[in-house]
Amino acid sequence: MRAYKRLFLISARNVFAYRMSALVSWIGSGAFLIASFAIWKALLGDGSIGGYDWPSMKAYLIISWATMQLGGAGLEWRMADRILWGEVATDLTKPVDYQKARFAEYLGSLTLELIAITIGVSLVAMLTGGFAAPKQPLLFFASMLLVIPLKFMFMYLACMLCFWTSNYMGVAWAKNALIMLFSGGLIPLSLLPTWLATPAAVLPFASVTAAPAIVYLGQAGLEVVVVQAFWVILLWFTARLLWRVALRALTVHGG
Amino acid sequence: MALVEARGLTKVFRRPQKDPGLRGALKHLVQRRFKDFRAVDGIDLSIEAGEAVAYVGPNGAGKSTTIKLLTGILVPTKGTVAVDGHQPHVERIVNARNIGVLFGQRTQLWWDLPVRESLALLRDMYSLSPTFYKQRLERLDDVLGLGELMPVLARKLSLGQRMRADLAAALLHQPKIVYLDEPTIGLDISVKDRVRQFLRELRADGTTLMLTTHDLGDIEDVCERIVIIDEGRKIFDGPLKEMKDQFARVRRMHLQLASSVPLAQVAAVLPETEVAQGDGPHSVTITFDRFTHTAGQIVSAVLQVTEVGELHLDEPAIEDVVRKVYAGELLRESV
Ligand SMILES: Nc1ncnc2c1ncn2[C@@H]1O[C@H](COP(=O)(O)OP(=O)(O)OP(=O)(O)O)[C@@H](O)[C@H]1O
Ligand SMILES: [Mg+2]
Repeated sequence: MRAYKRLFLISARNVFAYRMSALVSWIGSGAFLIASFAIWKALLGDGSIGGYDWPSMKAYLIISWATMQLGGAGLEWRMADRILWGEVATDLTKPVDYQKARFAEYLGSLTLELIAITIGVSLVAMLTGGFAAPKQPLLFFASMLLVIPLKFMFMYLACMLCFWTSNYMGVAWAKNALIMLFSGGLIPLSLLPTWLATPAAVLPFASVTAAPAIVYLGQAGLEVVVVQAFWVILLWFTARLLWRVALRALTVHGG
Repeated sequence: MALVEARGLTKVFRRPQKDPGLRGALKHLVQRRFKDFRAVDGIDLSIEAGEAVAYVGPNGAGKSTTIKLLTGILVPTKGTVAVDGHQPHVERIVNARNIGVLFGQRTQLWWDLPVRESLALLRDMYSLSPTFYKQRLERLDDVLGLGELMPVLARKLSLGQRMRADLAAALLHQPKIVYLDEPTIGLDISVKDRVRQFLRELRADGTTLMLTTHDLGDIEDVCERIVIIDEGRKIFDGPLKEMKDQFARVRRMHLQLASSVPLAQVAAVLPETEVAQGDGPHSVTITFDRFTHTAGQIVSAVLQVTEVGELHLDEPAIEDVVRKVYAGELLRESV
């Protein structure tokens, strides 16, 4: 336990070393947020599309932005590189559980992201006249909380593919595209054509953005949070299984 | 049972068979062809507690791969390993508590952290008590001069400093077994001496040691057992001294003769040896098999012909023996 606590603390402190590159990416994502606000404002006007009027779309967009920001930036590429370059070999000689260790680091790295999200949400609230309170505050909180391990699992599973690939760029790109499209991060899932909405409904990605958003808006309740929890557990153990397979495939070049 | 037991240890890597160029790459995508490569091929190895074993062999012999198999990093293709009764790749975490590992070519320090922080993290990973940790740091500081390195970021250390800090990281928890893969690679003479001194102390503490190196100076006064492998197979396993006895059969004696004597005359009294002109005008070099002649016999034979001034006998150097093994000359010479 002590080891995981220290990994958490070190990672929490270390993210500040990368604050400049983090700042640049926030400026980028801030621009994306402004653009999506402008587009939807223009599309919606005073009316509504697919059940979303401007106040509810505003809430949807900010939740979607916040969940996209979570993700252990920096950590992701570090983990991928360690696998690709064989540094993972030294991790394997330490008496810690690899998955738990990475999760502790991930949690630590959230500090900076949580600060950024708080600032971003407050700014938007100030500039656009605030948000309605969540319809189901407790459930919404639980749902947001579950987004944290879910995003970890996506990142962790994607990185683990590096045991088989020779670079991470393509994997990261595919992962981000899948999340963007099927989570509801790009547009609400209810607005997707059926041929996209059907896979989105059965894939785990909806649990990271659409789930907390529709809980916030009161369009769904406990059942969504249960599905989120289900995915967390399923993916956690899938990752453990994959890890066992990966170690058999591990070759570690060099040395 | 020995502390480390490997039986028929084998690791096969699959190497993609690609033709060169884009066409080759495309063809490989469609029709994947692999060739099996045995990096480690049926190695049997037992190491008793307290032993210090040198593991040597030419580049690509399979040394690092063996270490990775013994430490649980790689899963063996065939064969078994037990370290203190545990299968390293199955009970990885239990095994990790017993072992210390150093790969000279990689660091286990956290790149962005000062050495002190890396060590503190290791302290927590191995659940060391504060007093034990303090004692260990003092001990390691004595032999490795750790103090000055503590506040430095790992990525700012020089190679020698990095190796010292890495050794400390590998040994912090006082592991039962220590595997060192080229611990002196790229170090200057003085740091090398320091590392060797440290290895001797480790030895004296009763730590079990397995060490790979290309610098045979590392092993002379640290290890008493040597295992030589080539192409994944073990070709010698025994005491260092026995290796010299067994394989260094050829000895060389240099004699400074009192007068100039034709070589043929010397050769005549020494059948079955090789007599050659030495460096100086009156000197000869006699190469003989130490199983058929003693040095004394050689000298007394020469004395029948002429007086002898100086004489000098080349001791079998471990380098020579190992060089011959690498060059594949061993078998020929030992039969
Ligand atoms: N991941 C891998 N995939 C394919 N072949 C590999 C892999 N790792 C090692 N090999 C091959 O296995 C053989 C043994 O490699 P290993 O690293 O164990 O050698 P070594 O004895 O440590 O050599 P050196 O003295 O150069 O460090 C080499 O021929 C190497 O090319
Ligand atoms: Mg090697």
